[in-house]
Amino acid sequence: MEFNSALPIYLQVVTAIKREIVIGAIGLGEKLPSGRDLAIRYTINPNTASRVYKELESEGICFTRRGLGTFVSEDPELISRMKAEMAQELLQQFIDGMSRLGITRAEAAEMIRREE
Amino acid sequence: MTKLMKYEWRKALFPKMVLLVITAIAEIAFLIGIFSKKEMWYGLGIEGLVLCAIFGILYIGIESLTTFSKDLNTKQSYMLFLTPHTSYEILGSKVLMNAISIFVTGAFFAVLAIVDIGIGVASIGGVKELLSFAEAFMSVKIDWNNIRQIALMAFSSALVSWLNIIVVGYLAILLSATVLAGKKGSRVVSFVIFLIISGISSYVVNLVTRSMNEIASFWCTVGCMLIFTVIFYAITGWIMDKKLSV
Amino acid sequence: MLESREVTKNYLRKTAVNHVSLQLEPGKIYAILGPNGSGKTTWMKMAAGLVKPSSGEILYNGKPVGVESKKDIAYMSTEPYFYNWMTVKDVGAYYQDFFEDFSMEEYHRLLQRMELTEDLKTKALSTGMMAKLKIAVTMARKAKVYLLDEPLNGIDLMARDEIMRSILESAGSDVTLMLSSHLVDELEKIVSTAIFMKHGNLVTVCDAEELRMQQGKSIVDLYREIYGHGGEQS
Repeated sequence: MEFNSALPIYLQVVTAIKREIVIGAIGLGEKLPSGRDLAIRYTINPNTASRVYKELESEGICFTRRGLGTFVSEDPELISRMKAEMAQELLQQFIDGMSRLGITRAEAAEMIRREE
Repeated sequence: MTKLMKYEWRKALFPKMVLLVITAIAEIAFLIGIFSKKEMWYGLGIEGLVLCAIFGILYIGIESLTTFSKDLNTKQSYMLFLTPHTSYEILGSKVLMNAISIFVTGAFFAVLAIVDIGIGVASIGGVKELLSFAEAFMSVKIDWNNIRQIALMAFSSALVSWLNIIVVGYLAILLSATVLAGKKGSRVVSFVIFLIISGISSYVVNLVTRSMNEIASFWCTVGCMLIFTVIFYAITGWIMDKKLSV
Repeated sequence: MLESREVTKNYLRKTAVNHVSLQLEPGKIYAILGPNGSGKTTWMKMAAGLVKPSSGEILYNGKPVGVESKKDIAYMSTEPYFYNWMTVKDVGAYYQDFFEDFSMEEYHRLLQRMELTEDLKTKALSTGMMAKLKIAVTMARKAKVYLLDEPLNGIDLMARDEIMRSILESAGSDVTLMLSSHLVDELEKIVSTAIFMKHGNLVTVCDAEELRMQQGKSIVDLYREIYGHGGEQS
């Protein structure tokens, strides 16, 4: 995975995992790799990997069973909630970018319609 | 420490192999000469064997110094100095392995000489001659009382001077490696340091033994040399431990 | 824990390391960065017990480095250092003979991964193969501290991933790892702390994620600020 090395790496991995959950590459209730394996998979620092899980846990996306490992939450609402959140985030970035160019929301909406 | 010794043996294996091959060639020449009764062949063989024995033992004695120099002045030094062993163990394994190498080489040539003489006598004079030769060899009555003193003196002086040369050699190589850090001319500098240390120690020994009689002076010299050797060994180990950067 | 207290190393003409004080803690991966001649290698060799400081000291668990620390600290130098007569198999046997934490099984596993065979002569290895062999034999030790000098030097991109993986597999909460490199971007993702050296001096020590979060900078960015160029990008 390519990282933007000027942004915190743990946040980038968090986003990558969230995306995988949303598109279904990782299922609800599925066991996630150990922190160590996650570090090896993404070639990142093991401390960063455990921070990834801490962040995912604090957002309620996954939970840890003592001695068993880290699992994705089984809450069926989770995917739609995450999808909405991520979409919201992308939308906000888009709107901000457009307004910096002096394009109003209405104009932007019109551009999207024409794009189809 | 046996593991350190194992690798000391292995490091100097190549020259030993070369010596063995040359010895084998000389031995073959000798045997061809003996069995085909060609004087030139066994003459050459004997000369070759004698030269091999003399230079072989000398070379193996000195070899330990060149190995030590390589162990200090090349990147291979990391191999030795990364191992969790004290400098005294490293030095000790070198001294011991060198002693064993010299002894083994000496014993090898001694056995070879006895066998070759036996073969020579047997093929020239027949089996009967060989048996009487063996009998004569076995029945030589050595007057141990007479030669014990001389043998002991010869052995201890050989041992002590060899030990002294090796340890002073190590110290000289180490000093030049520590100060010059493997730069050009470190071998020459080592040799000069060697001469200076040897010169000073024999000067001191002379001072001490000046007014003694012959026998007392001999044993005193041996004793002094031994003490010097121990001191130099300790100094070498200390410098290696505290000052040497490889 | 490895601690450097006011360590200085003078050579005849120059000062290679100048009053460097720092502490390396278990559970972290350190990158020691700087151009050639900045003192990285000399500092690592002092920590390995190969080079003796002119003043100051390096302590491992409170005691000066020496015979005891060599049992726990695995050092890998940039230059090849195996004996000329050795094969890949002999190298393993040597480590087996001298290091209690060496695992022959792990060595074989790493050799296989690096596509090296035991019958190869070390004298005949290419730069890349030698680099892989050095990593394999060093990482086959279960050491407490790994000091790896330029582990990615002379290694092609494919093999780099293998080496990074082997290094990460040895990381753990009781293990200290230190890597030096002039390929800063290669180490960016895996280090927790970057140590910057310049002309033998310690410039700064900084936490990688903190740098990204608080200043929005990468280690490469900081490297560029300190040295005026971004390191030799591969």
